[in-house]
Amino acid sequence: MRSILFLVCFLFYNIGFGQKTIPNTTLTTLDGKSVKIHDEISKDKITILSFWASWCVPCINELDAISDVYDEWQEDFNMELIAISTDDARTQKRIRPMVNGKGWPYKILLDKNQELKRALNISTIPQTIILKDSKIIYIHSGYSPGVEDEIYEIIKENSN
Amino acid sequence: MKKIIALQFFFFTSILLAQNNGHLTVGFESNSQYYMDDEKTGDFTEENRYRSNNYLKVDYSISKFHFGMQAESYEPMSLLNYSPDYNQTNIALYYAGYKSKKLEVTAGYFYEQYGSGLILRSWENRQLGINNALRGAKVKFSPSENIEFSALYGNQRSGFDVSDASIYGFNSEINISSMLKAETWNLDLGFSYVGREEVNNTPTPDYDFNDLTNAISGRVSFSKNNFYSSVEYISKSNDAVIIFQNVRNTKPGNAFLFDVGYGKKGFGINATFRRIENMSFYSERSATGNIYNQNIINYIPALTKQHDYLLTNIYVYQAQPQVSFQDPTLIKIGEVGGQVDVYYTLKKKTSLGGKYGTKIALNMAYWAGLDGDFDFENLNYDADPLGIGEKYFSEISLEIRKKWSRKWSSIFYYVNQSYNKRYIEGARGNIKTDIFVSEATYKLGSGKSLRFEAQHLWTQDDKKNWTGATVEFNLNSKLAVYANSIYNYGNEEETKRINYYNLGGSYTKGAHRFTLNYGRQRGGLICIGGVCRFVPESTGIAANIVLSF
Repeated sequence: MRSILFLVCFLFYNIGFGQKTIPNTTLTTLDGKSVKIHDEISKDKITILSFWASWCVPCINELDAISDVYDEWQEDFNMELIAISTDDARTQKRIRPMVNGKGWPYKILLDKNQELKRALNISTIPQTIILKDSKIIYIHSGYSPGVEDEIYEIIKENSN
Repeated sequence: MKKIIALQFFFFTSILLAQNNGHLTVGFESNSQYYMDDEKTGDFTEENRYRSNNYLKVDYSISKFHFGMQAESYEPMSLLNYSPDYNQTNIALYYAGYKSKKLEVTAGYFYEQYGSGLILRSWENRQLGINNALRGAKVKFSPSENIEFSALYGNQRSGFDVSDASIYGFNSEINISSMLKAETWNLDLGFSYVGREEVNNTPTPDYDFNDLTNAISGRVSFSKNNFYSSVEYISKSNDAVIIFQNVRNTKPGNAFLFDVGYGKKGFGINATFRRIENMSFYSERSATGNIYNQNIINYIPALTKQHDYLLTNIYVYQAQPQVSFQDPTLIKIGEVGGQVDVYYTLKKKTSLGGKYGTKIALNMAYWAGLDGDFDFENLNYDADPLGIGEKYFSEISLEIRKKWSRKWSSIFYYVNQSYNKRYIEGARGNIKTDIFVSEATYKLGSGKSLRFEAQHLWTQDDKKNWTGATVEFNLNSKLAVYANSIYNYGNEEETKRINYYNLGGSYTKGAHRFTLNYGRQRGGLICIGGVCRFVPESTGIAANIVLSF
């Protein structure tokens, strides 16, 4: 136990070497096709990856809030949001009607057995990751109303 | 101890290597609790008031190779009602792999899911104390973009050890439409095999079954324009039926899952039907029905709406795949039922939609036991493939989300449930509830916001009425505090009218998160993803730390 604590303390001193990219994990589209995440992220756009689930109320609040302003964001900047569902078989079938019913304009990918979520050490959702040139420039976990304004500022700062 | 030294060695080498082209990620999670005596609910009578579950995961990748491990520490003891096999500090998982466009090889511990998981799912859920990773090897081969084959062999993790049974698996996924270069429709086929070989050491001359149990699954999924549908069938070979820890019969099992839906912008509908008969599948036969969710090979979630509010999570349905003969009037051999989901958005700038539009979600679910001829004396049955037996559960829920202005938004949620406690939990009662939840969020500007939630549960049954409330204040995007309480004010026994209150806060920085909670936890089922873990009532302070580098 003491050794593990030591390791954790050691890590605190080394925050600097933080994660920079996303591992190239296989995800599934709503149609059931397997795709590699690297092929889905446009190299020339600022990309928001939003990890969510159909049963997670704050996740839906965040995606609803961004959906309201998404048109403006896309007009202002060369950006895209990919909503990565971490739902498993219990709730997966609800995603498609939900995305349709809510009229979300996002690209939706499924992380069926949470391989990407695990690879990124995501313990709680929602978790929002912003990528520029395939590098991580911002991570936020949790959602409180108004985070979308912070995300807007990050995109603005990083758009040329 | 040796393993810990090895871990440190591994860790420091990884850091050195990471300076070059490699890529190192580290995740740490710690969930601790200090249990306290409570004058209302009683003293804490178990060992160790302070308990902690800790996970350290280190992954290193360079070029097409990756290596990793997960150390776990349950010191001085694991949190209440985790499996007693989680009892030490040690390396729990280790793995190494190679990944190219066509070939993926993993050795060591790995996770896997075939189809929807009805035949095989190895996964981790730390809140539920589930980690049924397989230890062995897995190979995945994709000769072209439209075809994928994979095979695995391993033993399932059980605590810090693995179970004796060998698990064999094969899976194939074929995208027919891409092979035919079809662009307007999509057709996928899937086929899986899973074998579990457990040597039966206790002779059971009256019952004839093999050490090797075979399960096969076939799947088809189709979509065209706004329409989509999928079907899956699983057959499990003749195997021992375990009742009261003993082999009391042999039976095959099967499962059928059908799903159909339609969606366009602003409207979506989906219907699911499922029938399962004797589909419990464990890596050790003797683990059948264990309360810690250990040694499970497949994944059979309850197909109902997963709620996110305190009072809607008191009567939660759990799937009933197992055969059980508790008394002549309480016999279960599986379940049948379905659910329908409808999502609809009332357009902006219409009379009902208002300025921002109104979002509606409706769910209806119905689940019942299987019908058939039951012979309690011989613990035998003959299932009727089309029969519908005793009703287990039904639910209707309606959610309306409305944004009133730039600052105000609210959610109204109504749930009507019928919960057959006798069949689901083996306890007395059949409970009918009406639950209403209303929540409102007010944005104060510059990241500050307030959220209020009021809830009420009406029932004439079980513990009678409940009421509840939550207040949450977000000081900015990083810091939040909350207080909530649910109160069983309707309980007929005055001493059991308990107020379960909690207060706490969370601080988030990037991917790091700290949360602290003080309060009284309602005893009962904690359910995540349709799997439930029983937790006893407790009072105390809980601290959670999540770090990710």
